[in-house]
Amino acid sequence: MTPLGPELRRIVGDAHVLERASQLLAYRSDALPGLRRAPALAVFPGARDELIAVVRALAAHGAPFVARGAGTGLSGGALADGVTLLGLHRLKRILALDPEARTATVEPGVVNALLTRAAAPHGLHYAPDPSSQAACTIGGNVAENAGGPHCLKYGVTLDHVLRATVVLPDGEVVILDRGDEAPGYDLLGAFIGSEGCFGVVADVTVRLTPDPERVITLLADFTTVRAAADATSRIIAAGILPAALELMDRPTIEAVESSIYAAGYPRDAAAVLLVEVDGAAAGLDDDAAAVEALCRAAGARGVRTATDPAERARLWQGRKKAFGAMGRVAPHLVVQDAVVPRTRLAELLDTIAAIGARHRVRICNVFHAGDGNLHPNIPYDAHDADEAARVHAAMGEVMAACIAAGGTITGEHGVGLDKLPYMERLFTADTLDAMCALRDVFDPARRANPGKVVPVHSCREWHAAPAARGLP
Amino acid sequence: MSADHRPATVEALAALVRARAGAPASASGARRGLRIAGAATWMDAGHPVREAEHLSLGAFRGIEAYTPADLTISVGAATTLAELDAATAAHGQWCPLLPWGDDHGTVGATIATATTGPFAERLGRPRQLVLGVECVDGTGRIVRAGGRVVKNVAGFDLTRAVTGAWGTLAVITRLHLRLRARPAVDVTLAVACPATEAATSRLAAFTRGPLAPLGVVAVEAADAAAIGAPGATHLVRLGGNAALVREARTAVGSLGAVTELEAAAWSTIRARLAPAPRLTGWRWDALASRLRDRFDPARILNPGLLGDPT
Repeated sequence: MTPLGPELRRIVGDAHVLERASQLLAYRSDALPGLRRAPALAVFPGARDELIAVVRALAAHGAPFVARGAGTGLSGGALADGVTLLGLHRLKRILALDPEARTATVEPGVVNALLTRAAAPHGLHYAPDPSSQAACTIGGNVAENAGGPHCLKYGVTLDHVLRATVVLPDGEVVILDRGDEAPGYDLLGAFIGSEGCFGVVADVTVRLTPDPERVITLLADFTTVRAAADATSRIIAAGILPAALELMDRPTIEAVESSIYAAGYPRDAAAVLLVEVDGAAAGLDDDAAAVEALCRAAGARGVRTATDPAERARLWQGRKKAFGAMGRVAPHLVVQDAVVPRTRLAELLDTIAAIGARHRVRICNVFHAGDGNLHPNIPYDAHDADEAARVHAAMGEVMAACIAAGGTITGEHGVGLDKLPYMERLFTADTLDAMCALRDVFDPARRANPGKVVPVHSCREWHAAPAARGLP
Repeated sequence: MSADHRPATVEALAALVRARAGAPASASGARRGLRIAGAATWMDAGHPVREAEHLSLGAFRGIEAYTPADLTISVGAATTLAELDAATAAHGQWCPLLPWGDDHGTVGATIATATTGPFAERLGRPRQLVLGVECVDGTGRIVRAGGRVVKNVAGFDLTRAVTGAWGTLAVITRLHLRLRARPAVDVTLAVACPATEAATSRLAAFTRGPLAPLGVVAVEAADAAAIGAPGATHLVRLGGNAALVREARTAVGSLGAVTELEAAAWSTIRARLAPAPRLTGWRWDALASRLRDRFDPARILNPGLLGDPT
C-alpha cells in the first residue's frame, strides 16, 4: 500500500498536504488556550470528490483523523494528537441559495457570516450567530451544534439544519435529513453536535430566516449583578421572548470600555443587560416598554433604547468583541461555558465570584442570560504555571457548582478535550456507554476525532454482536 | 387492556428488559418482546407487533418537577397531554406540542413518535421541545440524557436519537420539556378564503410574512360543522401582544369572511384531523439498522412495529 502522505498528495496536490513539523505549528491549537497537540499530517481537500477520496484513503490506512473548520472551537475539539488533521476551509462554496424556499446549501468551510451576507439581498439571514461568526464555519457549527446570542428566540444549529450529506469515517456517503418529517430515525438530529466523531459534512442545507421588520435594542444598567440576573428572570417569566438577552459584568465592561471596541457602557455599573426585541413592527414598542419596565422594577438605574442601526451596532459591538477586548488584560483567555436553570443564575454568579476570589483569578462574565448559558471567562497567562493551575482549579469548581445546581457543563462550546473530566460527574456509566453505542453506529472503528467527548474508558463493548447470534 | 408488566420503577423496568435481552431466543417461540403502552390508544398501528407482552408505563405518570420561572418541566412519560396542559396553564404557560390526536394521549408517546401538530413550525417540533429523557434501552441500560436546561451540548445526543424512534431503541420513562408562555392574546378565527388562486397566494403570503399566525389548517365542511364554522374554512390561530394580534387580525380580514371561535376548536380539529400513524416504509438503511442493533440487538422493544431491516 502507498504510504498515507504520498497518497493524500496524489488526491489533493502537494500544496495541500503538510507534513513538516514547522508547517504544522499553526495547527497545534484551536481557540482553547493552554492545550497544544501536534498533528502528524494535515490535508486540505479543495472539492467534494477530494474530500471523499481523502476520507476513503484514511479508512484504507486505518488512520484516525480530526476534522477542522476555522479552528475557533473553545473546547479543544479540533486538536489532532499525532493523527491526521483534515482541514475543510477550502470547501467554501455556497452551492445553492433559494430565497423562495428560504434555504441554502453550502460546503462545510463556508464562513457563518458570509452565508448571512449572501442571504442579505433577499431579506434573509442565517440565524445562529456565535461570537466567532466572522471566522467560524458552518461545518464547525454543525459539529458543535453552535448557538449564539440570538438562539434565545431563533434556536440553535439543530433547529436550522434541514439536511446534510455526510462522509462517514469508512468513506461511505450518506444523506441525513430531518428525521421527524420522513419515517425514519432522527439520524440528522443525532449527528448535529457530534463534535466530528460521527463523520465529516460534505454539504449542508440550512434554513434561512427572514430579517425582522424592526429591531429594538435596550441597554439596562444595574448596580448589582444580582439585580441584573433578577431582571432576566422577570423578563423570561413575563413571557416576553427577546431575540437576545445578554449579561455583562463589571470586569467585562471595563475590558470593553478600555479597548478599541468601547461601546459606551457605563463603567460604574456592576452589570449591564443587553436586550433585543425584534419581529413585526406592530406591537414591538409595547414589548420594548415592557422590558424596560421589568428592568426598572428589578432595580435598573437607567435604560437606553437604540433603534437606529448604527447605535444598535455599537451596543452589540461591545458584546461581540468582549473576548477580543479581554486580550488587553492578559495574553490568554479561557472562555468557559455552562448552563443552569434560569432561576439559579443569580445564586451561581455569587458562587462563581466566590470561587474566583478564593483562587485569586479574575473572572469576567459575559453570557446568554436568557438561556441560563453562563460564560465565565478568565484572562490569564498560560505560561505562568501557578496561575494556570489556579485557573484550572477554579474552572473545576465552577463546573461542579453548575452540575450541583441541576445544570450542564456545556451549552454550545462542546466537550472536546477540555470538558472530558466532567463527563463522569454529569452522566451515569450506563448513559456514557449508550453514547459510545451511538458513536459506534456512525464510526465503529472510532477513528473520527478519537479520544474526544466521551472518556474512552467509559465505553463498554457490546461483545455479543447481533450478527453472531443469528438475529436479523 | 390488561398489562402483562407494570414496573413501578425504572430499575425494575431495566431488570425486566435486561433479563430478556440476556436470555437466548427460545426455539419454542416464547414471547420475549415488550409492546410499550402509554395510554394504550395506538396499540394496533398498522404493523403487528410480534411475540410481545404488554408493558404498561402507568407507574410513570405525573408532574415530577416544575419551576415555572425556569420555563421547563419534568414529567413521567405516561402523563397525559391534558395533565401537562392543566399543570402549565395554571402559570400562564404551555408546552406547545399540541399534536394531532386527542389530549388523552401521553407525553411519552408524543415524543416517542415525534408527532407534530398544527403549530409545530412556529412553536416547536417534538425534537425541539424535548430537553432530556430518562429511558431504558433494549440492552437494559438506564440512560439519562440531556437535562433540565434549555441549551445543552454535553455528550452525544441520545435525546434526539430516541425522539421519533417509536420505542424501538429505548422505553422512555421520564421527560424534561421546554415550556413557553402562552400568548398574551390568543385568537382563533375561521376564515372563508375563496378557492381562487389569488386568494390562496394571499393566504400563503400572510403565513410567510411578519404577522404570521401560530398555525393555519384547512378544514373541510364536515369538520367545520363540528366547531361551529360556516362551511369549509381555514382555521387560523393568532398569538402575541395586543397590538400585534390587532394588526394580524386586520390582515386576516382581507383574506375572507371571518368568524371568531373559541380556542377549544383546536382540540376538536386536532382530534378529528389526526392522520393514522405512518408506520409503513420506515427507512431501514445501514445506519438505521446499526442503530437498532446497538440499542436493541435482541429485538425486545416493540418488535416488528416498524417492519424489519432487510
